[in-house]
Amino acid sequence: MRTMFKQSRWLLPLVSIIIVVIFLFPLYWLVVTSFKTEAEIFRSPQTWFPQVWQFKSYTEQLTGSSFDIVNGFRNSLAIAVGALLVSTLLAIPAAYGVARFRFPGRHSFILIFLVTQMLPASLLLTPLFILFKQIGLIGASYWSTILANATAGIPFSVIILRTYFATLPKELEESAKIDGCNTFTTFTRIMLPIAVPGVVVAMVFSFLFAWGDLIYGMTFIGNEELRPITAGIYNFLGFQSTSWNNTMAFGTVSMLPVALLFIFVQRYIVSGLTNGAVKG
Amino acid sequence: MTNAKGRIAGYLFVLPALLYMIFFVGYPIIDNIRLSLFDVNVMNLTKGHQSFVGLDNYIELFKEGTLQKVLKNTLIFTISCLVLQFIIGLAFAMLFNLQFRTAQRLRGLVMISWLLPATITAMMFKFMFSSGGIINDLLLKLHLISSPIEWLVNSGTAMFTIILANTWIGIPFNMMLLTAGLTTIPKDVYESAAIDGATAVKRFFKITLPLLKPAIMSLLVLGFIYTFKVFDLVLIITNGGPVNATQMMSTYAYKLSFDQFQYSQGAAISNVMFVLLLIIGVIYLRLLKKEEQL
Repeated sequence: MRTMFKQSRWLLPLVSIIIVVIFLFPLYWLVVTSFKTEAEIFRSPQTWFPQVWQFKSYTEQLTGSSFDIVNGFRNSLAIAVGALLVSTLLAIPAAYGVARFRFPGRHSFILIFLVTQMLPASLLLTPLFILFKQIGLIGASYWSTILANATAGIPFSVIILRTYFATLPKELEESAKIDGCNTFTTFTRIMLPIAVPGVVVAMVFSFLFAWGDLIYGMTFIGNEELRPITAGIYNFLGFQSTSWNNTMAFGTVSMLPVALLFIFVQRYIVSGLTNGAVKG
Repeated sequence: MTNAKGRIAGYLFVLPALLYMIFFVGYPIIDNIRLSLFDVNVMNLTKGHQSFVGLDNYIELFKEGTLQKVLKNTLIFTISCLVLQFIIGLAFAMLFNLQFRTAQRLRGLVMISWLLPATITAMMFKFMFSSGGIINDLLLKLHLISSPIEWLVNSGTAMFTIILANTWIGIPFNMMLLTAGLTTIPKDVYESAAIDGATAVKRFFKITLPLLKPAIMSLLVLGFIYTFKVFDLVLIITNGGPVNATQMMSTYAYKLSFDQFQYSQGAAISNVMFVLLLIIGVIYLRLLKKEEQL
Protein backbone atom coordinates (compact mmCIF):
# COMPACT_ATOMS: atom_id res chain seq x y z
CA MET A 1 0.00 0.00 0.00
CA ARG A 2 2.80 2.33 0.93
CA THR A 3 4.58 1.90 -2.39
CA MET A 4 1.38 2.52 -4.29
CA PHE A 5 0.94 5.84 -2.51
CA LYS A 6 4.57 6.78 -3.00
CA GLN A 7 4.24 6.38 -6.73
CA SER A 8 1.63 9.09 -6.96
CA ARG A 9 2.56 11.83 -4.56
CA TRP A 10 -0.65 13.76 -5.00
CA LEU A 11 -3.04 10.87 -4.38
CA LEU A 12 -2.58 10.59 -0.62
CA PRO A 13 -2.98 14.31 0.15
CA LEU A 14 -5.98 14.46 -2.17
CA VAL A 15 -7.77 11.51 -0.57
CA SER A 16 -7.00 12.91 2.89
CA ILE A 17 -8.32 16.34 2.01
CA ILE A 18 -11.56 14.85 0.70
CA ILE A 19 -11.98 12.82 3.91
CA VAL A 20 -11.41 15.89 6.10
CA VAL A 21 -13.77 18.00 4.01
CA ILE A 22 -16.52 15.40 4.45
CA PHE A 23 -15.72 15.14 8.16
CA LEU A 24 -15.98 18.89 8.70
CA PHE A 25 -18.96 19.33 6.41
CA PRO A 26 -21.36 19.93 9.37
CA LEU A 27 -19.45 23.13 10.21
CA TYR A 28 -19.76 24.42 6.65
CA TRP A 29 -23.44 23.55 6.67
CA LEU A 30 -23.93 25.43 9.94
CA VAL A 31 -22.37 28.64 8.68
CA VAL A 32 -24.00 28.47 5.25
CA THR A 33 -27.46 27.85 6.68
CA SER A 34 -27.20 30.97 8.83
CA PHE A 35 -26.98 33.03 5.60
CA LYS A 36 -29.87 31.33 3.79
CA THR A 37 -33.43 32.56 3.72
CA GLU A 38 -36.05 30.60 5.66
CA ALA A 39 -37.59 29.44 2.36
CA GLU A 40 -34.31 28.21 0.91
CA ILE A 41 -33.33 26.15 3.94
CA PHE A 42 -35.83 23.35 3.37
CA ARG A 43 -36.01 23.58 -0.40
CA SER A 44 -35.64 20.28 -2.16
CA PRO A 45 -33.16 19.61 -3.64
CA GLN A 46 -30.99 21.43 -1.13
CA THR A 47 -28.70 24.22 -2.27
CA TRP A 48 -25.04 23.75 -1.42
CA PHE A 49 -24.47 27.47 -1.49
CA PRO A 50 -26.95 30.25 -0.63
CA GLN A 51 -28.71 31.48 -3.78
CA VAL A 52 -29.70 34.65 -1.96
CA TRP A 53 -27.43 35.83 0.81
CA GLN A 54 -29.33 37.25 3.72
CA PHE A 55 -27.79 38.73 6.85
CA LYS A 56 -31.06 39.27 8.73
CA SER A 57 -30.34 36.31 11.03
CA TYR A 58 -27.47 38.37 12.42
CA THR A 59 -28.61 41.97 12.08
CA GLU A 60 -32.10 41.42 13.45
CA GLN A 61 -30.78 39.55 16.45
CA LEU A 62 -27.97 41.90 17.31
CA THR A 63 -29.94 43.95 19.77
CA GLY A 64 -33.49 44.48 20.86
CA SER A 65 -35.00 41.19 21.99
CA SER A 66 -34.58 39.94 25.54
CA PHE A 67 -31.93 37.50 24.38
CA ASP A 68 -29.87 38.71 21.44
CA ILE A 69 -26.51 37.67 20.01
CA VAL A 70 -24.47 40.42 21.67
CA ASN A 71 -26.08 39.68 24.99
CA GLY A 72 -25.53 35.94 24.76
CA PHE A 73 -21.94 36.36 23.64
CA ARG A 74 -21.19 38.69 26.53
CA ASN A 75 -22.74 36.28 29.03
CA SER A 76 -20.82 33.28 27.69
CA LEU A 77 -17.62 35.33 27.70
CA ALA A 78 -18.13 36.52 31.28
CA ILE A 79 -18.80 32.96 32.47
CA ALA A 80 -15.90 31.43 30.55
CA VAL A 81 -13.36 34.10 31.55
CA GLY A 82 -14.55 33.95 35.16
CA ALA A 83 -14.18 30.17 35.25
CA LEU A 84 -10.77 30.45 33.59
CA LEU A 85 -9.54 32.92 36.22
CA VAL A 86 -10.84 30.91 39.18
CA SER A 87 -9.47 27.65 37.74
CA THR A 88 -5.98 28.84 36.86
CA LEU A 89 -5.49 30.94 40.00
CA LEU A 90 -6.23 27.91 42.17
CA ALA A 91 -4.75 25.21 39.93
CA ILE A 92 -1.31 26.74 39.30
CA PRO A 93 -0.14 26.72 42.94
CA ALA A 94 -1.80 23.36 43.58
CA ALA A 95 -0.03 21.77 40.61
CA TYR A 96 3.27 23.30 41.75
CA GLY A 97 2.70 21.97 45.25
CA VAL A 98 2.07 18.36 44.23
CA ALA A 99 4.84 18.41 41.62
CA ARG A 100 7.72 19.96 43.57
CA PHE A 101 7.20 19.14 47.25
CA ARG A 102 7.22 15.82 49.06
CA PHE A 103 4.62 15.69 51.79
CA PRO A 104 2.32 13.05 53.27
CA GLY A 105 -1.00 12.83 51.42
CA ARG A 106 0.47 14.13 48.18
CA HIS A 107 -0.59 11.05 46.22
CA SER A 108 -4.11 11.17 47.63
CA PHE A 109 -4.39 14.79 46.52
CA ILE A 110 -3.39 13.87 42.98
CA LEU A 111 -5.89 11.02 43.14
CA ILE A 112 -8.66 13.40 44.24
CA PHE A 113 -8.02 15.66 41.26
CA LEU A 114 -7.90 12.68 38.88
CA VAL A 115 -11.21 11.31 40.14
CA THR A 116 -13.10 14.62 40.27
CA GLN A 117 -12.18 15.18 36.64
CA MET A 118 -14.33 12.18 35.76
CA LEU A 119 -17.50 13.18 37.59
CA PRO A 120 -20.65 13.94 35.59
CA ALA A 121 -22.08 17.45 35.94
CA SER A 122 -25.52 15.99 36.69
CA LEU A 123 -24.12 14.52 39.92
CA LEU A 124 -23.20 17.93 41.31
CA LEU A 125 -26.18 19.76 39.87
CA THR A 126 -28.90 19.39 42.50
CA PRO A 127 -26.68 19.77 45.60
CA LEU A 128 -25.01 22.84 44.06
CA PHE A 129 -28.45 24.21 43.15
CA ILE A 130 -29.55 23.91 46.79
CA LEU A 131 -26.24 25.32 48.04
CA PHE A 132 -26.34 28.34 45.71
CA LYS A 133 -29.99 28.92 46.51
CA GLN A 134 -29.19 29.05 50.20
CA ILE A 135 -26.37 31.54 49.78
CA GLY A 136 -28.38 33.63 47.33
CA LEU A 137 -26.43 32.97 44.14
CA ILE A 138 -29.29 31.54 42.07
CA GLY A 139 -30.87 34.06 39.73
CA ALA A 140 -29.31 37.29 38.59
CA SER A 141 -25.62 36.47 38.73
CA TYR A 142 -22.91 34.68 36.75
CA TRP A 143 -21.18 33.53 39.93
CA SER A 144 -23.07 30.25 40.43
CA THR A 145 -22.19 29.12 36.90
CA ILE A 146 -18.60 30.34 37.13
CA LEU A 147 -18.01 28.47 40.41
CA ALA A 148 -19.64 25.30 39.09
CA ASN A 149 -17.64 25.32 35.85
CA ALA A 150 -14.38 25.78 37.74
CA THR A 151 -14.96 22.35 39.32
CA ALA A 152 -14.14 20.91 35.88
CA GLY A 153 -11.34 23.35 35.06
CA ILE A 154 -9.37 22.97 38.29
CA PRO A 155 -8.68 19.21 38.26
CA PHE A 156 -7.87 19.22 34.54
CA SER A 157 -5.48 22.17 34.98
CA VAL A 158 -3.78 20.64 38.02
CA ILE A 159 -3.14 17.40 36.14
CA ILE A 160 -1.76 19.15 33.04
CA LEU A 161 0.39 21.61 34.99
CA ARG A 162 1.72 18.95 37.34
CA THR A 163 3.44 17.17 34.47
CA TYR A 164 4.88 20.52 33.37
CA PHE A 165 6.26 21.50 36.75
CA ALA A 166 7.56 17.98 37.39
CA THR A 167 9.79 18.07 34.30
CA LEU A 168 11.59 21.31 35.27
CA PRO A 169 15.17 20.70 36.51
CA LYS A 170 15.82 20.82 40.25
CA GLU A 171 18.87 23.06 39.78
CA LEU A 172 16.56 25.95 38.93
CA GLU A 173 15.13 25.98 42.43
CA GLU A 174 18.53 25.54 44.03
CA SER A 175 20.13 28.43 42.17
CA ALA A 176 17.13 30.61 42.91
CA LYS A 177 17.65 29.86 46.61
CA ILE A 178 21.29 30.90 46.37
CA ASP A 179 20.26 34.13 44.67
CA GLY A 180 18.11 34.92 47.68
CA CYS A 181 14.64 33.80 46.58
CA ASN A 182 12.33 32.29 49.17
CA THR A 183 9.92 29.46 48.35
CA PHE A 184 7.22 31.84 47.16
CA THR A 185 9.41 34.08 45.00
CA THR A 186 11.12 31.02 43.51
CA PHE A 187 7.68 29.95 42.37
CA THR A 188 6.51 33.32 41.00
CA ARG A 189 9.78 34.63 39.52
CA ILE A 190 11.57 31.50 38.32
CA MET A 191 9.28 28.49 37.92
CA LEU A 192 6.04 30.12 36.76
CA PRO A 193 7.54 32.01 33.78
CA ILE A 194 9.09 28.79 32.47
CA ALA A 195 5.78 26.94 32.75
CA VAL A 196 3.90 29.43 30.55
CA PRO A 197 3.17 26.90 27.75
CA GLY A 198 1.53 24.61 30.30
CA VAL A 199 -0.39 27.50 31.80
CA VAL A 200 -1.69 28.41 28.33
CA VAL A 201 -3.03 24.87 27.82
CA ALA A 202 -4.71 24.92 31.22
CA MET A 203 -6.27 28.31 30.51
CA VAL A 204 -7.51 27.30 27.07
CA PHE A 205 -9.21 24.19 28.41
CA SER A 206 -10.70 25.94 31.43
CA PHE A 207 -12.11 28.52 29.03
CA LEU A 208 -13.44 25.92 26.58
CA PHE A 209 -15.11 23.80 29.28
CA ALA A 210 -17.04 26.82 30.54
CA TRP A 211 -17.68 28.19 27.04
CA GLY A 212 -19.41 24.95 26.08
CA ASP A 213 -21.37 24.65 29.31
CA LEU A 214 -25.12 24.28 29.02
CA ILE A 215 -26.34 22.41 32.09
CA TYR A 216 -25.05 24.79 34.79
CA GLY A 217 -25.96 27.96 32.92
CA MET A 218 -29.52 26.97 32.21
CA THR A 219 -30.15 25.54 35.67
CA PHE A 220 -28.55 28.16 37.90
CA ILE A 221 -29.21 31.41 36.04
CA GLY A 222 -32.87 32.22 36.47
CA ASN A 223 -32.67 35.53 34.64
CA GLU A 224 -32.89 34.70 30.93
CA GLU A 225 -30.97 37.83 29.92
CA LEU A 226 -27.88 36.56 31.74
CA ARG A 227 -27.83 33.05 30.26
CA PRO A 228 -25.01 31.85 27.97
CA ILE A 229 -25.41 31.36 24.20
CA THR A 230 -25.74 27.60 24.62
CA ALA A 231 -28.83 28.05 26.79
CA GLY A 232 -30.22 30.44 24.17
CA ILE A 233 -29.78 27.78 21.48
CA TYR A 234 -31.45 25.21 23.70
CA ASN A 235 -34.43 27.52 24.10
CA PHE A 236 -34.63 28.20 20.36
CA LEU A 237 -34.71 24.48 19.62
CA GLY A 238 -37.52 23.98 22.11
CA PHE A 239 -39.97 26.04 20.06
CA GLN A 240 -42.58 24.29 17.94
CA SER A 241 -41.11 25.53 14.67
CA THR A 242 -37.44 26.27 14.94
CA SER A 243 -36.19 29.27 13.04
CA TRP A 244 -33.13 27.46 11.77
CA ASN A 245 -31.23 30.36 10.23
CA ASN A 246 -31.55 32.38 13.44
CA THR A 247 -30.39 29.44 15.54
CA MET A 248 -27.49 28.81 13.16
CA ALA A 249 -26.45 32.46 13.51
CA PHE A 250 -26.13 31.91 17.25
CA GLY A 251 -24.20 28.72 16.57
CA THR A 252 -21.80 30.47 14.21
CA VAL A 253 -21.12 33.21 16.74
CA SER A 254 -20.53 30.71 19.51
CA MET A 255 -18.09 28.87 17.25
CA LEU A 256 -15.94 31.97 16.70
CA PRO A 257 -13.86 31.94 19.92
CA VAL A 258 -13.25 28.21 19.50
CA ALA A 259 -12.02 28.80 15.95
CA LEU A 260 -9.78 31.67 17.04
CA LEU A 261 -8.30 29.69 19.93
CA PHE A 262 -7.80 26.80 17.58
CA ILE A 263 -5.87 28.91 15.07
CA PHE A 264 -3.57 30.51 17.63
CA VAL A 265 -2.92 27.80 20.20
CA GLN A 266 -3.55 24.58 18.29
CA ARG A 267 -0.04 23.30 18.99
CA TYR A 268 -0.53 23.70 22.73
CA ILE A 269 -3.97 22.09 22.63
CA VAL A 270 -2.68 18.94 20.96
CA SER A 271 0.11 18.50 23.50
CA GLY A 272 -2.28 19.32 26.33
CA LEU A 273 -4.81 16.73 25.26
CA THR A 274 -2.25 13.94 25.03
CA ASN A 275 -0.48 14.96 28.25
CA GLY A 276 -3.65 15.42 30.27
CA ALA A 277 -5.31 12.26 29.10
CA VAL A 278 -2.54 9.73 28.65
CA LYS A 279 -0.08 10.66 31.31
CA GLY A 280 -2.80 11.62 33.77
CA MET B 1 12.30 19.32 49.48
CA THR B 2 11.64 16.94 52.29
CA ASN B 3 12.19 19.12 55.35
CA ALA B 4 9.38 20.43 57.56
CA LYS B 5 9.42 23.84 55.91
CA GLY B 6 9.03 22.20 52.50
CA ARG B 7 6.14 20.10 53.75
CA ILE B 8 4.27 23.12 55.05
CA ALA B 9 4.95 25.04 51.83
CA GLY B 10 3.61 22.10 49.83
CA TYR B 11 0.38 22.03 51.83
CA LEU B 12 -0.02 25.79 51.50
CA PHE B 13 0.29 25.62 47.73
CA VAL B 14 -2.28 22.83 47.43
CA LEU B 15 -4.70 23.99 50.11
CA PRO B 16 -6.76 26.64 48.24
CA ALA B 17 -7.62 24.32 45.34
CA LEU B 18 -8.22 21.43 47.69
CA LEU B 19 -10.63 23.40 49.88
CA TYR B 20 -12.44 24.56 46.76
CA MET B 21 -12.88 20.98 45.54
CA ILE B 22 -14.00 19.78 48.98
CA PHE B 23 -16.59 22.54 49.17
CA PHE B 24 -17.94 22.45 45.61
CA VAL B 25 -17.41 18.75 44.73
CA GLY B 26 -16.93 16.80 47.96
CA TYR B 27 -19.89 18.31 49.73
CA PRO B 28 -22.27 17.81 46.75
CA ILE B 29 -21.29 14.13 46.54
CA ILE B 30 -22.20 13.64 50.22
CA ASP B 31 -25.33 15.76 49.91
CA ASN B 32 -26.44 13.73 46.90
CA ILE B 33 -26.31 10.55 48.98
CA ARG B 34 -28.39 12.27 51.67
CA LEU B 35 -30.90 13.52 49.07
CA SER B 36 -31.37 10.04 47.66
CA LEU B 37 -32.25 8.64 51.10
CA PHE B 38 -34.87 11.29 51.87
CA ASP B 39 -38.07 12.39 50.17
CA VAL B 40 -37.15 15.79 48.76
CA ASN B 41 -39.39 17.60 46.32
CA VAL B 42 -40.09 21.16 45.30
CA MET B 43 -41.98 21.87 48.56
CA ASN B 44 -39.21 20.99 50.98
CA LEU B 45 -36.08 21.54 48.90
CA THR B 46 -34.50 24.32 50.95
CA LYS B 47 -36.71 24.47 54.03
CA GLY B 48 -39.31 22.33 55.76
CA HIS B 49 -39.37 18.76 56.94
CA GLN B 50 -37.73 16.08 54.80
CA SER B 51 -38.65 12.54 55.75
CA PHE B 52 -36.15 9.69 55.70
CA VAL B 53 -37.21 6.94 53.31
CA GLY B 54 -34.09 4.77 53.19
CA LEU B 55 -33.56 3.02 49.89
CA ASP B 56 -37.17 3.55 48.73
CA ASN B 57 -36.13 5.87 45.90
CA TYR B 58 -33.76 3.28 44.48
CA ILE B 59 -36.27 0.46 44.93
CA GLU B 60 -39.06 2.42 43.27
CA LEU B 61 -36.93 3.29 40.23
CA PHE B 62 -35.87 -0.34 40.00
CA LYS B 63 -39.46 -1.66 40.27
CA GLU B 64 -40.68 0.80 37.64
CA GLY B 65 -37.96 -0.58 35.40
CA THR B 66 -36.78 2.90 34.46
CA LEU B 67 -33.41 2.46 36.16
CA GLN B 68 -32.65 -0.64 34.10
CA LYS B 69 -34.03 1.02 30.97
CA VAL B 70 -31.81 4.12 31.17
CA LEU B 71 -28.81 2.05 32.24
CA LYS B 72 -29.30 -0.19 29.22
CA ASN B 73 -29.69 2.82 26.91
CA THR B 74 -26.58 4.45 28.28
CA LEU B 75 -24.55 1.27 27.89
CA ILE B 76 -25.73 0.70 24.31
CA PHE B 77 -24.91 4.32 23.51
CA THR B 78 -21.52 4.25 25.21
CA ILE B 79 -20.30 0.97 23.75
CA SER B 80 -21.48 1.77 20.22
CA CYS B 81 -19.74 5.15 20.39
CA LEU B 82 -16.54 3.62 21.74
CA VAL B 83 -16.35 1.04 18.96
CA LEU B 84 -17.08 3.52 16.16
CA GLN B 85 -14.80 6.24 17.54
CA PHE B 86 -11.99 3.80 17.98
CA ILE B 87 -12.17 2.31 14.49
CA ILE B 88 -12.45 5.67 12.72
CA GLY B 89 -9.98 7.34 15.11
CA LEU B 90 -7.41 4.60 14.44
CA ALA B 91 -7.94 4.91 10.69
CA PHE B 92 -7.40 8.67 10.91
CA ALA B 93 -4.36 8.28 13.14
CA MET B 94 -2.74 5.83 10.72
CA LEU B 95 -3.63 7.89 7.67
CA PHE B 96 -2.15 11.11 9.04
CA ASN B 97 0.83 9.22 10.40
CA LEU B 98 1.94 8.48 6.82
CA GLN B 99 4.47 11.06 5.74
CA PHE B 100 2.84 13.46 3.34
CA ARG B 101 2.81 17.19 3.08
CA THR B 102 -0.60 18.20 4.42
CA ALA B 103 -0.84 15.44 7.04
CA GLN B 104 -0.15 17.49 10.16
CA ARG B 105 -2.37 20.37 9.15
CA LEU B 106 -5.27 18.06 8.31
CA ARG B 107 -4.88 16.19 11.58
CA GLY B 108 -5.08 19.52 13.39
CA LEU B 109 -8.26 20.48 11.54
CA VAL B 110 -10.00 17.28 12.61
CA MET B 111 -9.50 18.41 16.22
CA ILE B 112 -12.14 21.14 15.82
CA SER B 113 -15.05 18.76 16.29
CA TRP B 114 -13.72 17.82 19.72
CA LEU B 115 -13.32 21.43 20.84
CA LEU B 116 -16.75 22.71 19.83
CA PRO B 117 -19.45 23.11 22.46
CA ALA B 118 -21.58 19.94 22.40
CA THR B 119 -24.64 22.18 22.08
CA ILE B 120 -23.48 23.35 18.66
CA THR B 121 -22.77 19.83 17.45
CA ALA B 122 -26.14 18.66 18.74
CA MET B 123 -27.95 21.49 16.98
CA MET B 124 -26.12 20.68 13.76
CA PHE B 125 -26.98 16.99 13.79
CA LYS B 126 -30.57 17.70 14.76
CA PHE B 127 -30.80 19.95 11.71
CA MET B 128 -29.08 17.58 9.31
CA PHE B 129 -31.20 14.64 10.44
CA SER B 130 -34.52 16.50 10.43
CA SER B 131 -37.03 15.07 7.96
CA GLY B 132 -36.36 17.80 5.40
CA GLY B 133 -32.65 17.87 6.17
CA ILE B 134 -29.57 17.25 4.09
CA ILE B 135 -29.18 13.57 5.05
CA ASN B 136 -32.63 12.61 3.73
CA ASP B 137 -32.03 14.82 0.71
CA LEU B 138 -28.81 13.00 -0.14
CA LEU B 139 -30.25 9.55 0.46
CA LEU B 140 -33.24 10.38 -1.76
CA LYS B 141 -30.96 11.69 -4.48
CA LEU B 142 -28.88 8.51 -4.38
CA HIS B 143 -32.14 6.48 -4.49
CA LEU B 144 -31.18 4.67 -1.31
CA ILE B 145 -34.56 5.52 0.20
CA SER B 146 -37.86 6.26 -1.49
CA SER B 147 -39.35 8.57 1.15
CA PRO B 148 -37.75 10.72 3.87
CA ILE B 149 -36.84 8.90 7.09
CA GLU B 150 -38.08 10.42 10.34
CA TRP B 151 -34.72 9.93 12.04
CA LEU B 152 -35.63 11.43 15.40
CA VAL B 153 -39.17 10.04 15.60
CA ASN B 154 -38.33 6.32 15.45
CA SER B 155 -36.54 4.91 18.46
CA GLY B 156 -33.89 2.93 16.58
CA THR B 157 -32.90 5.72 14.22
CA ALA B 158 -32.98 8.29 17.03
CA MET B 159 -30.41 6.25 18.97
CA PHE B 160 -28.40 5.87 15.76
CA THR B 161 -28.38 9.65 15.26
CA ILE B 162 -27.09 10.50 18.73
CA ILE B 163 -24.45 7.77 18.47
CA LEU B 164 -23.31 9.28 15.17
CA ALA B 165 -23.19 12.79 16.62
CA ASN B 166 -21.19 11.70 19.64
CA THR B 167 -18.84 9.64 17.48
CA TRP B 168 -18.14 12.80 15.48
CA ILE B 169 -17.06 14.52 18.69
CA GLY B 170 -15.01 11.56 19.94
CA ILE B 171 -13.01 10.72 16.81
CA PRO B 172 -10.30 13.42 17.35
CA PHE B 173 -9.81 12.31 20.95
CA ASN B 174 -9.18 8.74 19.84
CA MET B 175 -7.08 9.91 16.92
CA MET B 176 -4.78 12.04 19.09
CA LEU B 177 -4.18 9.38 21.74
CA LEU B 178 -3.54 6.73 19.08
CA THR B 179 -1.22 9.10 17.21
CA ALA B 180 0.75 9.57 20.40
CA GLY B 181 0.87 5.78 20.72
CA LEU B 182 1.97 5.30 17.10
CA THR B 183 4.95 7.63 17.52
CA THR B 184 6.32 5.33 20.23
CA ILE B 185 6.57 2.40 17.79
CA PRO B 186 10.07 2.37 16.30
CA LYS B 187 10.19 2.45 12.50
CA ASP B 188 12.74 -0.35 12.15
CA VAL B 189 10.26 -2.86 13.60
CA TYR B 190 8.14 -2.39 10.49
CA GLU B 191 11.14 -2.43 8.21
CA SER B 192 12.47 -5.73 9.49
CA ALA B 193 8.97 -7.20 9.36
CA ALA B 194 8.65 -6.08 5.76
CA ILE B 195 11.99 -7.71 4.95
CA ASP B 196 10.74 -10.91 6.55
CA GLY B 197 7.85 -10.78 4.11
CA ALA B 198 5.02 -9.77 6.44
CA THR B 199 2.06 -8.32 4.56
CA ALA B 200 0.53 -4.94 5.48
CA VAL B 201 -2.43 -6.69 7.11
CA LYS B 202 -0.15 -8.96 9.09
CA ARG B 203 2.02 -6.00 10.19
CA PHE B 204 -1.12 -4.21 11.42
CA PHE B 205 -2.38 -7.12 13.52
CA LYS B 206 1.00 -8.46 14.67
CA ILE B 207 2.86 -5.17 15.32
CA THR B 208 0.69 -2.06 15.34
CA LEU B 209 -2.23 -3.29 17.45
CA PRO B 210 -0.18 -5.15 20.12
CA LEU B 211 2.23 -2.23 20.54
CA LEU B 212 -0.67 0.24 20.78
CA LYS B 213 -2.25 -1.76 23.60
CA PRO B 214 -1.38 0.67 26.44
CA ALA B 215 -2.75 3.63 24.48
CA ILE B 216 -5.86 1.65 23.50
CA MET B 217 -6.56 0.59 27.08
CA SER B 218 -6.40 4.08 28.52
CA LEU B 219 -8.42 5.61 25.70
CA LEU B 220 -11.16 2.99 26.04
CA VAL B 221 -11.42 3.57 29.78
CA LEU B 222 -11.31 7.36 29.49
CA GLY B 223 -13.65 7.24 26.51
CA PHE B 224 -16.10 5.15 28.53
CA ILE B 225 -16.09 7.71 31.33
CA TYR B 226 -16.53 10.70 29.02
CA THR B 227 -19.21 9.00 26.90
CA PHE B 228 -21.16 7.51 29.79
CA LYS B 229 -21.88 10.94 31.25
CA VAL B 230 -23.21 12.38 27.96
CA PHE B 231 -25.79 15.07 28.60
CA ASP B 232 -26.06 18.17 26.39
CA LEU B 233 -25.96 16.21 23.17
CA VAL B 234 -28.89 13.92 24.01
CA LEU B 235 -30.88 16.66 25.72
CA ILE B 236 -30.83 18.76 22.56
CA ILE B 237 -31.12 16.15 19.80
CA THR B 238 -33.80 13.87 21.24
CA ASN B 239 -34.47 15.04 24.81
CA GLY B 240 -34.58 11.34 25.69
CA GLY B 241 -37.37 10.61 23.25
CA PRO B 242 -39.21 9.09 21.55
CA VAL B 243 -40.80 7.76 24.76
CA ASN B 244 -37.52 7.36 26.66
CA ALA B 245 -35.95 5.33 23.85
CA THR B 246 -32.80 7.46 24.05
CA GLN B 247 -33.12 8.48 27.68
CA MET B 248 -29.65 8.37 29.27
CA MET B 249 -28.84 8.20 32.97
CA SER B 250 -27.76 11.85 33.06
CA THR B 251 -30.73 13.20 31.10
CA TYR B 252 -33.13 11.10 33.16
CA ALA B 253 -31.61 12.34 36.41
CA TYR B 254 -32.02 15.88 35.10
CA LYS B 255 -35.60 15.26 34.00
CA LEU B 256 -36.55 13.80 37.38
CA SER B 257 -34.94 16.64 39.30
CA PHE B 258 -35.69 19.71 37.23
CA ASP B 259 -38.79 18.82 35.17
CA GLN B 260 -40.67 16.70 37.69
CA PHE B 261 -39.00 18.12 40.83
CA GLN B 262 -38.40 14.62 42.21
CA TYR B 263 -34.99 15.67 43.51
CA SER B 264 -34.51 12.50 45.53
CA GLN B 265 -35.13 10.17 42.61
CA GLY B 266 -32.86 12.24 40.41
CA ALA B 267 -30.17 11.98 43.08
CA ALA B 268 -30.64 8.20 43.22
CA ILE B 269 -30.00 7.88 39.47
CA SER B 270 -26.95 10.15 39.77
CA ASN B 271 -25.56 8.00 42.56
CA VAL B 272 -25.87 4.80 40.54
CA MET B 273 -23.97 6.62 37.79
CA PHE B 274 -21.37 7.77 40.28
CA VAL B 275 -20.72 4.25 41.57
CA LEU B 276 -20.37 2.86 38.05
CA LEU B 277 -17.96 5.62 37.01
CA LEU B 278 -16.00 5.15 40.23
CA ILE B 279 -15.46 1.48 39.40
CA ILE B 280 -14.24 2.38 35.92
CA GLY B 281 -12.13 5.17 37.44
CA VAL B 282 -10.40 2.69 39.76
CA ILE B 283 -9.63 0.47 36.76
CA TYR B 284 -8.13 3.51 35.03
CA LEU B 285 -5.95 4.36 38.03
CA ARG B 286 -4.75 0.74 38.13
CA LEU B 287 -3.76 1.04 34.47
CA LEU B 288 -1.85 4.25 35.17
CA LYS B 289 0.00 2.64 38.06
CA LYS B 290 0.89 -0.30 35.87
CA GLU B 291 2.47 2.06 33.38
CA GLU B 292 4.22 3.76 36.29
CA GLN B 293 3.03 7.14 35.22
CA LEU B 294 1.55 8.10 38.56
